[in-house]
Amino acid sequence: MKPRVILIEGYDETRYLAKSLIGNGYKVTAINEDIEKCKLLAGISNLRVFHGDGSKPFVLDDADVYDADIAVAMSPFDDANLVICELCKKKFNIKKTVAVVSDPKKTDFFRTMGIDSVVCAISAISNIIEQHILLSDIKTVMPIGEGHAEVIQISVPENAKVTGQKLCDIDLPKQAIIGCVLRGSRTLVPHGQTTLESGDGLILIVAGPNKEAAIRKLTAK
Amino acid sequence: MSIFSSNSKKTGKTCTVIVGCGRLGANIADSLSEAGKDVVIIDSNSDSFRKLSPMFGGMKITGDATEMLVFNDLDMKNVSSVIAVTNHDNTNIMVAQIAREMFHIDKVIARLYDPARECVYRELGIDTICPVILSTNEVDNLLFGGTTA
Repeated sequence: MKPRVILIEGYDETRYLAKSLIGNGYKVTAINEDIEKCKLLAGISNLRVFHGDGSKPFVLDDADVYDADIAVAMSPFDDANLVICELCKKKFNIKKTVAVVSDPKKTDFFRTMGIDSVVCAISAISNIIEQHILLSDIKTVMPIGEGHAEVIQISVPENAKVTGQKLCDIDLPKQAIIGCVLRGSRTLVPHGQTTLESGDGLILIVAGPNKEAAIRKLTAK
Repeated sequence: MSIFSSNSKKTGKTCTVIVGCGRLGANIADSLSEAGKDVVIIDSNSDSFRKLSPMFGGMKITGDATEMLVFNDLDMKNVSSVIAVTNHDNTNIMVAQIAREMFHIDKVIARLYDPARECVYRELGIDTICPVILSTNEVDNLLFGGTTA
């Protein structure tokens, strides 16, 4: 059976998501409060469109969202997104719920309330700014475990203090390990005797607050 | 208003926070204040406080109660109950859940216009007041003398 996705509110987001999800073989339902936007959304082929306030149970019931695989709440109002996700989970037995939040301080609260994924554009942007301004040696970052741990790619700059050192001699902070060394076209899984060279790409796995300390240690000149 | 006094006697907490200064919020705030209780009322629009009686002796805070900063400003250890009575169900639900889950307030009450949402929140230990159901029961009562209720 095709996985079913419910997209609630957020006109532009719904448009692009719906097109790509339908293209990938998902069965997509869109719910929007604005009748004009519903009419425009109805132009997308194979998209089921329902008009109504997605935070009202009867609207979700009419749209027959029961037992869907994923519900995504994208209204501009945090409180509506919370209610939509909770209704979807508790009353309509939807397996996974995703909420967009505007206030970064609420992400943990949303997770406490049982929402599976919380997306916050503001914290994503502030993370990018933080990484690019403060720590320009970072190449890529991938959050894992709801953002509490990260996989980070950094490169060892020329004349860095750590070049020529064995890994076992480098005093990395706790909760941080080097998982992989990228040297030229080779990929090494390092051990304690591996020595670092300038230009090495390091795949670092860090959890908790030691991220910056670990990166400074490996990139300090 | 006996629930508030019995609650505060047990825990030593005395303050009631009311979110939303509409007719209901202002009325509750006035009657608690008149009974000599500590009351804080929060509304996003300072004009709303005109609904309070001139005798109101509690604290008035202008701000958005769904932003946790507003709660952080208050001494939440002293708060025994939070009553969410804004004119948006979703806001009331979110305020009630923040109060319950993030600040562990003993008594949380939310007003919901739409009774269909109630079932979801009862299991969280949030008391809900639904004017539609209350009015329906009261009309029933007046019409049939309570025989059908």
